Amino acid sequence: MRRKPRILIGKVGLDGHEVGARVVARALADAGMEVIYTGLRQTPEMIVRTAIEEGVDLIGISILSGSHMSFFPEILRLLREYQAEDIPFIAGGIIPAEDVERLKEMGVKEIFPPETPTSEIVRFVKGLLDERP
Amino acid sequence: MTTMDPKKLKELEEAKRAWEEQCLKPALEAFPERRKNFLTDIGLNIERLYTPLDLERVNFDYEKDLGFPGQFPYTRGISPTMYRSAPWIVRAYSGFGEPELCNKRYKKLVEWGVDEIVMAVDLPTQVGYDSDHLMARGEVGKVGVAIDTLRDMEILFEGIPLNKLKRISMLGNSFGPIALALFIALGEKQGLQPEEFVVDLQNDILKEYVARGTYIFPIRPSVRVTTDVVGYCARHAPHWYPSTLCANHLNAAGAGSSKAAAFAMANGVCYLRHLVEKGYTVDNVAPLFSMFLDERSDFFVAICHFRAARRVWAKILKEKFHAMDPRSTALKITAYSHGGETLLEPINNIARITLAALAYVLGGVQFLYNASYDEVLGTPSEEAAKISIRIQQILAHELGITSTVDPLGGSYFIETLTTEIEREISEEFEKVEALGGAIAAIEKGYYLSAITEGANRRQKEFERGERVSIGVNKWRIETKAPYGAFRIDPMIETKQVERLSRVKRERNERRVKEALQYVREVAQGEGNLVPPSLEAVRAYATIGEICDVLRSVFGEYQAREYFSAKGS
Repeated sequence: MRRKPRILIGKVGLDGHEVGARVVARALADAGMEVIYTGLRQTPEMIVRTAIEEGVDLIGISILSGSHMSFFPEILRLLREYQAEDIPFIAGGIIPAEDVERLKEMGVKEIFPPETPTSEIVRFVKGLLDERP
Repeated sequence: MTTMDPKKLKELEEAKRAWEEQCLKPALEAFPERRKNFLTDIGLNIERLYTPLDLERVNFDYEKDLGFPGQFPYTRGISPTMYRSAPWIVRAYSGFGEPELCNKRYKKLVEWGVDEIVMAVDLPTQVGYDSDHLMARGEVGKVGVAIDTLRDMEILFEGIPLNKLKRISMLGNSFGPIALALFIALGEKQGLQPEEFVVDLQNDILKEYVARGTYIFPIRPSVRVTTDVVGYCARHAPHWYPSTLCANHLNAAGAGSSKAAAFAMANGVCYLRHLVEKGYTVDNVAPLFSMFLDERSDFFVAICHFRAARRVWAKILKEKFHAMDPRSTALKITAYSHGGETLLEPINNIARITLAALAYVLGGVQFLYNASYDEVLGTPSEEAAKISIRIQQILAHELGITSTVDPLGGSYFIETLTTEIEREISEEFEKVEALGGAIAAIEKGYYLSAITEGANRRQKEFERGERVSIGVNKWRIETKAPYGAFRIDPMIETKQVERLSRVKRERNERRVKEALQYVREVAQGEGNLVPPSLEAVRAYATIGEICDVLRSVFGEYQAREYFSAKGS
């Protein structure tokens, strides 16, 4: 039997708003996944290292500070550098639509705006993990 | 104690029963109500109709529960004339980019007629990192203006003397003494004594550990950092507002307004006790606190929440602290009109913000600021910022809203709900007291579990459609979310880092070193942290340098936490 999916939920940068991260972490946990929540003030380096150390199947980052265009490309770059680009990376928070398009082109799998039902996030994550070989 | 004649009450009860039988029952059969319960976010059920019978049920007594405005327990307001003398203080929370750019917006705010500018500073500044720090990369100037040294303050307020505004403010939650020092030193540069202007800080660290997250030091030294500011002002600037007890962020994170207010009051009581232990009398320090309240889900709950909170605080100060000065018991309230704004169809947010502001005004607010309708998209545009100020001015000066004191006082509904909310806040406050007070409640995870539970409940209500958001989960039109109009130029970081290194080159290094040593010595001892912070700021030491000294003495709060599946 396949083990429970492991998910890393993280807050990157100095943004201290963690309600969204906690709500999503709880929803994924309730859907039967192991969720590791990093707490606040992580660097892209810390996120990617934790993801690799914990052997997670997916990274989800919450951000509300508007600094996504600095941090997200850096996370993607580090995933490639550590040869961990097979770990899918999703995000949620306040991210303008024009940035969403650019970030998805760069490789972020999906970006959920603030009003997304958690059921939609759970469905997306399950779908993504089912595609795994 | 009843205020109604028992015979009259009995007659009313019978009349109500007859109405239910003859009028209500057939109406319900023909037109059933939309919902079984009309529940509020705080869990109280709103009844179909309120009558004097409800006032009787909650033991309402005019003199005991209301009294007169400007007198204990201040339910009807903290001053006898309220907005007839002067409307509330119109605040604007604003800041982005670097000081030169932001100064242009501040000048506009002054022109539009704001009474108080609340500096929004960027996240590196809020957690004590300079703009050239590794942790600041990508964040400089993003959620607020970057401030590294006194030089940035001078540029930011170029052409805006501090006494031109009724109050001047920044949050300064984790480093209150430095925030206060920056304003004192800026006043000096502008040729102003502290008597000539008014500083207002948020400076409430305890809530940061459970909501908002801009802590630096561990809890206990942080309480000292926060209260040193209050103690300093009690002696040197008693007309300032050195600490604002914040329920807002606790409610936003999920606590619900009653618990949020109770927790914020418990935090305030923790600061007060700390100050009393240090030798201040309650009446020296209590008048310097104000409170930042919030209720974003229900218009009438918001009104009653403010009235109830004034009653609870007045009783705490009188009964627990034996405060004698009326300024200690009269709770001054700050509020922020925001909460239900949506990313989709953002212009609708103007209606949401206006109604929130109206509720706070009807509740008797002192200091008010409005969100901008486009804030959900990022930094407010100039147009949106102006509208948010104009809304307040319209409420204050058109339509007669401010002509009488506590216009809703005496409503069966309002008075019943106010009393019910007062009980909720008091009971929750006593629970925290029983746990050992605010610090114990934080360390035992009591605040956080209330917040997390509430956040999950709200999310579920939203997903089930019980929590309606027009244009989002009701009558939604499939459109793309709009683009934010306002972007922060990434070159701002470079510009700010260059300015910082120029300040460092030009300042007197020896003076900086001595001032930082003074900060260290006071931090290691028992003295007040404001005077050494002021010396350091005057010498153009950076916020990061001063915070680094304090970090080396106090240590840093460890936020890391494991949160794995419970399957529950």
